[in-house]
Amino acid sequence: MISVNPSTNNLEKLDLHNLPAEQTALDIKNLNLYYGQDQALHDISMRIPNNRVTAFIGPSGCGKSTLLRCINRMNDLVEICRIDGQIDMHGHNIYDKNVDVAALRRRVGMVFQRPNPFPKSIYENVVYGLRLQGVKDKRVLDEAVETSLRGAALWDEVKDRLNASAFSLSGGQQQRVVIARSIAIEPEILLLDEPTSALDPISTLTIEELITELKEKYTVVIVTHNMQQAARVSDQTAFLYMGKLIEYADTDTLFTTPSEKQTEDYITGRYG
Amino acid sequence: MNTWFKSGKPWIWLTAGSVSISLIAVIGLVLMIGWRGLSFFWPAAIHEMSIEQADGSTRTLIGEIYESESVPTSRVSNSGTIMDGYEEEEVTRYLMKIGNREYVPLDFAWVLGPAIRSDETPADLAVIERTKDGNFYGYPVAIEQAGERVAKHGDLRDELFKRVERAVELNEQAMALQEGEIGAINYELTQLNLQRRGLELSGSLTEEAINDIEQRREELQADYLEYEKELFALRDEAGRDSLIMRDMRGEEVKVPMYRVLDVNFPNDMGFFSKLGHFFQQIGKFVSEPPREANTEGGVFPAIFGTVFMVLLMSVIVAPFGVIAAVYLHEYAGKNAVTKLIRIAVINLAGVPSIVYGVFGLGFFVYMVGGSLDQIFYPEALPNPTFGTPGVLWSAVTLAILTLPVVIVATEEGLSRIPPALREGSLSLGATKWETIWRIVLPMASPAIMTGLILAVARAAGEVAPLMLVGVVKSAPMLPVDGNFPYFHLDRKFMHLGFHIYDVGFQSPNVEAARPLVYATSFLLITIIVGLNLTAIGVRNHLREKYRSLEH
Repeated sequence: MISVNPSTNNLEKLDLHNLPAEQTALDIKNLNLYYGQDQALHDISMRIPNNRVTAFIGPSGCGKSTLLRCINRMNDLVEICRIDGQIDMHGHNIYDKNVDVAALRRRVGMVFQRPNPFPKSIYENVVYGLRLQGVKDKRVLDEAVETSLRGAALWDEVKDRLNASAFSLSGGQQQRVVIARSIAIEPEILLLDEPTSALDPISTLTIEELITELKEKYTVVIVTHNMQQAARVSDQTAFLYMGKLIEYADTDTLFTTPSEKQTEDYITGRYG
Repeated sequence: MNTWFKSGKPWIWLTAGSVSISLIAVIGLVLMIGWRGLSFFWPAAIHEMSIEQADGSTRTLIGEIYESESVPTSRVSNSGTIMDGYEEEEVTRYLMKIGNREYVPLDFAWVLGPAIRSDETPADLAVIERTKDGNFYGYPVAIEQAGERVAKHGDLRDELFKRVERAVELNEQAMALQEGEIGAINYELTQLNLQRRGLELSGSLTEEAINDIEQRREELQADYLEYEKELFALRDEAGRDSLIMRDMRGEEVKVPMYRVLDVNFPNDMGFFSKLGHFFQQIGKFVSEPPREANTEGGVFPAIFGTVFMVLLMSVIVAPFGVIAAVYLHEYAGKNAVTKLIRIAVINLAGVPSIVYGVFGLGFFVYMVGGSLDQIFYPEALPNPTFGTPGVLWSAVTLAILTLPVVIVATEEGLSRIPPALREGSLSLGATKWETIWRIVLPMASPAIMTGLILAVARAAGEVAPLMLVGVVKSAPMLPVDGNFPYFHLDRKFMHLGFHIYDVGFQSPNVEAARPLVYATSFLLITIIVGLNLTAIGVRNHLREKYRSLEH
C-alpha cells in the first residue's frame, strides 16, 4: 500500500464538500471544457482549500493538466478551446468577461513540466514578474531575489553567481529558479504541472520537500502522474478519469479507503 | 555495379561533386576578379621599343605592356599586314598603353611580336599621373619655373619629387577650399534664395525681411570674393612650375605641374618600393573621387554611396519586416487570408527587380516625393527636392525588394521559440505584447539578423532598380556633408554596382577602363563580404546569448 506523508495526518481533516468560504481558495462549479467537438472535462465541481496541497491524479489524458490550466486561464491560448461553468476566487468568477487575465495570472502562478527559465541571468529570471509590474528600485528587486530564492531553497547554491545564465544550472536547479520566479510576485495560488517529471530522483526529493514548505504561504495545486508523489506531498487528492472527477478526498482516505471502484483499480495499479 | 548503386556511394560522389564544382566556380571567379583587379595597381615596367614599320622605317613606342595574345599568322596576313619571312603558325601581339593622349590619336597601340627590333626598360623613364588626359610616359628633361629652366640632369629627380609634392599640396588646399568654405557659401546662398521664395509664397515677405536677406547675401558674396582670391592665389602658386618631358617622338613637351598628381620611375624600383607603391595606389583608389568620366581616379563616392544606401535600407527594412512578421505570426488569425498574404509575400521575392524600380519611380519618387515637395518644399518648385530620384527613394525601394526575405526569416525564427517560454512569461502576468517584446523578439533576434544578412547581400548587389530611383554616373556631392542638416537624403548618389556598368560599358575609353571594372568588382565583393561578416558576427553573438534549451 502507498504510504502517506505523516505530516498531513497532523492536519485537521476538512469536510471538502461543505468547505466554508473563508477556507476556500478556489470554488470550481460545473466546469465543462471542449476542444472543438470533443469534451475534455465533464461537469467538474470541487472546492480547493487554502494553504494546503491539493493533488490531481489520473491516467494520461484524463484531463488533470487541462483542469489545472483552467485555473489561470492558460487554456485561453488554445483557439479551439471552449469553457462553460465557472471558477470562483474570493467569490468572483475568473471567467467573467471583465476579468484582467494578466492580473489573474499574477495571483495564480504556474510551474510547468519541463523547466522553462528565460534566456537571461538567474537574477533577471527571478525579477521578471516584478519588472513587468514596473518595479525599478534596485533594493526592492535585490530583496525579492533573495527572499524568492530562499523560498525556493536555491539561495545557498546560486547566491554567488546570480548573474550567470539560468541555462548554466542543472535541471532541478532550473525548476527551482522557475518556482522562485513564480513566488517572487507573491501569488495566492501556485499551480504545479508535473513539476518533477523531467527531473532526477534527488532533484525530485528537493522539490517535494519544497512543496511541503510552500503551503505555509501559498495554496498549492499539483498535477502528478506519480501516485507516490501525490501521497507524499498532498493533503487532499482528486482522482480524474476520462475528464470526470471520480473521487476527491483527503489523501490518506483516498489512498487507504477509496470509495469508488475506479479509484481503487487505479491506485492498486490495475490500469493507467 | 548494382550493389555499388545500392551502397549509396554514388550519392556521396554526386553531392560532393556538386559542392566541389560550386566551390571551384566561386573561388575561381573571386581569384580571377581579384587578380585582374589588383594587378592593375602593381607598377608595370615601362618599355621603350623600336618597331619596324611596313615601309621599313622604325618608330619608337614608350609605354606599358597591357596585354598580350597569340593570333594565327594567317589572320594577320589576311588583314593586310605583310608577314614575309615569318614562318611560325602563331604570332604574338602586344597591346601597349602609350598614354600621352593629347599628342597621339590613340593612347593604346597593338604591336606585332616579330616587328619589335629592340625592347628596353631604361631606368630614367617616368610615368606621370595627371588630372587630365591620363598618364604621360617619357623622359624628364628639366623643370621650368616662370619660363626659366631651373633644374637639369643630376639633381633633377629629387627636385622633381619636391616640386610635385608642393604642387599636389597646393592643389589639395585649393580643393579643400573649394569644397569646404566655398561649397558652404554656395549652399547657404541657395538656402537664402529658398528662404526668400518661401516668405514670398507665405505672403510675409516684408521690406525688413528682404533687407535682412540682401544683407546676408552681400556678406556671403564678400566672403566668397575673399575665398575666391585665396583660391586663385593657390592656383597661381601651383601653376608656377612646369615639367619638360621628352616623349616617344623625341620632342620636348611641357607638362604643367598643377596637373601632375604623381611621378614614378617604375623601371628603377625595387620589389619593396613597388609593394609600397601598390598599396599606395590601392589607398588612392578607395579614397579618391573618380576623374575623367570615371576612367581614372578612385571610387570613394561610390563606396560611400553603396554603404550608406545599404545601411539606410537596413534601418528601414528591419523594423517593417519584423513588425509584419510579428503580426502575421502572432496576431493574424490562422485562416485562408493569412495564408494568402504569406504566399503573396514569398512570391514578392520572385518579382524582377526592375519592376520594383519602376514602382519606386512611379510611387515613391513621383507620387510620394512629388506630394512632399508640394507640402514641405514649395519654395523650391518647380525644381524638385524629393520629387526626383535620390538616395532615400533608392533605400526605400530596395527595402521593399528585400522585405520578403526579412519577413520569412523572422517568421521562421518566431516559430522556433519554444511555447514553454511563452507560457512561462504569460503565467507571470505578462500580456501577449510584453511576452513578445521581452522574450520572443530577443530570442528571435538571430533569425532576424539572418534575414537582414540576406537582405543586405541582395541589396548591395542590386543595380537595375537603382538606375531608375537615384543612382547617377557622377554625383557632385556626397549624401552626407558638413552643411546642416548633414544628411541629404534627397541627393543622388554613386553606387559601385552601377559604377561597374558605367565604367565597363558606357566608357569612352574601353581599354583604360577595363582594369577598373575588375578592381571595382573586387571591391564590391569585398564590401558585401565585409557587411555580411559583420552581420554574421553580431548574429553569432546573439545566438550565444539567447541559446535556448535543447527541448
